[in-house]
Amino acid sequence: MSVVVDEPAVRDGGGTSRRRHGRTLTAVALVLVFAVFPLFMSPFANLQVTLILVYAVAILGLDILVGWTGQVSLGQSAFFGIGAYGVAAGAVHGWPVWAGLLLGTAVAGVVGCLVAIPAARLRGYALGMITLTLPVVAVPLAKRMEAVTGGAQGLNVTIVQAPAWTGLAADQWRYYVVGVGAAIVFALAAALRRGRFGRAFDAVRVNEALATAQGVHVTRYKVLAFTLSAVYGGVAGVLYVVAVQFISPETLILTLSISMLAGLAIGGLRSLLGCVLGAAFYVVVPNLTGSVSAGQSYLLYGVCLLVVMLLMPRGVAPALGHAVRRVANRRERAAASGE
Amino acid sequence: MNHGTQALVEVRDLTLRFGGVTALADVAFDVGDRQICGLVGPNGAGKSSLFNCVNGYYRPSGGSIRVGGVDVLSVPAHRMVRLGIARTFQHPTLQPDRTVLDNVLLGGHSTLSGTVLSAMLALPGERRRERALVTRARELLDSLGLAGVERTSAGDLPYGSQKRVEIARALLSGPRLLLLDEPASGLTHSEVGEVGELISRIRADHGLTVIVVEHHMGLISAVTDHVVALVSGRKVAEGTAQAVQSDPVVVSAYLGAA
Repeated sequence: MSVVVDEPAVRDGGGTSRRRHGRTLTAVALVLVFAVFPLFMSPFANLQVTLILVYAVAILGLDILVGWTGQVSLGQSAFFGIGAYGVAAGAVHGWPVWAGLLLGTAVAGVVGCLVAIPAARLRGYALGMITLTLPVVAVPLAKRMEAVTGGAQGLNVTIVQAPAWTGLAADQWRYYVVGVGAAIVFALAAALRRGRFGRAFDAVRVNEALATAQGVHVTRYKVLAFTLSAVYGGVAGVLYVVAVQFISPETLILTLSISMLAGLAIGGLRSLLGCVLGAAFYVVVPNLTGSVSAGQSYLLYGVCLLVVMLLMPRGVAPALGHAVRRVANRRERAAASGE
Repeated sequence: MNHGTQALVEVRDLTLRFGGVTALADVAFDVGDRQICGLVGPNGAGKSSLFNCVNGYYRPSGGSIRVGGVDVLSVPAHRMVRLGIARTFQHPTLQPDRTVLDNVLLGGHSTLSGTVLSAMLALPGERRRERALVTRARELLDSLGLAGVERTSAGDLPYGSQKRVEIARALLSGPRLLLLDEPASGLTHSEVGEVGELISRIRADHGLTVIVVEHHMGLISAVTDHVVALVSGRKVAEGTAQAVQSDPVVVSAYLGAA
């Protein structure tokens, strides 16, 4: 069919390989910058970046559910809390960190799965309302279960100490631990998205009849997305305790869930970079607005959110990707006409 | 039966009611193995209802549908593709921001195995199965004239090409029975001709049985072995395209004359 073969969108030859080359270089540069960053920056800056990575993992979990599968959840802060309390309570009882990690993420996953089984029949506002109850229940529960959670005071723990041979300060070591942890779970999600599961989640979002016709059990995949999302929330909670060595009921309030959804929208759906950018917005912008005017920090934060969404309705990462592609296309065209 | 081969699809006394509305009433017909069967009729005749019963999307109120001897009404909709029943959609239902190749690969979902964990860890077996599927998807794209656009976002393709991607996706599941929902709708005159050739060709290449719902009588005449005409949920005529088109009941139903 000549109509198809003559498509101008056909990308082939030097352009693609040049682009792939550029992408590899960018990745190597980013890893290098990331690796040396904490050696030269203040403890505060290191904590900020560490927290960005923590929230990026939680937002990535939300993206699996919202961006990939087209569901919605206001419960992510509760799973974050389960992971955080799992590792913190374990540490209080003298468990090693890996055991707390397993416990926290496993409980988050099981709770996520149990909530998802009835919730998978719902969509839109109804699903939002059901998941809303999670943080609403989790916060008082964390306050009441004092034996495990330390009640309203929360839990102070000392985990993931820098080994002496590294010569690293606490903030630097935590930065690396959280960085490596985040990198691993990001890589796992990226692999999942590339294969049959990623395609199936997409199909559920685009059209359930389409998904069914391809042999995708729609309910099962919604439950799976919800469970994975909860596990990622739990992992983020564990990393949070690694970063700040503290967890209290105030951390898992509904506001955190809403902020994560906002972060996801700001960064852009279905984009790993978007999850990081959304988390950066959540961590950095309140600090900036607070330094401009302590009294009106939240108002200014809201204004920033509105402005970004108005300028980039699909989020920052897609807008950036679009800009980069335009520049690259222009360069390729210039190179082609020069040859 | 007016065709010599053995029937792959047997529809018997099929009745479908939505509340008080009877969408299908006692519809019965056979489709022979490797035959192309057209479903025709005016809007609201029950073509789509029948189509959606065969693909498992609707559950009829009565009657039976057997495909290759299997009672498909006892099979959940998401298992149909594993029985070798694949479908396309009337309006291309693609994932617009995924590539054409990714869209076609979705069609191979039921042929792949592996757990979430093996997919996340990209284990060697997982990667090998995926590569084999990609190879088959590329062959299909080639044979459907889509070789040059596998990396293009599906949403950027012209409408006619999107409909071809739908067919490629359906074929990747390795079906015995292909259900085509108005493959000619929205196409230009020359594209309709090409789709007709394509349907005949994939039937031959893949040994398929095809049921095609279509308004375009030119396409029906060109590709079908056998046509079933529905009016108001009832089968009113059956036979070759030519015979059905000249059937007085069919003619009056289309023209609205008594």
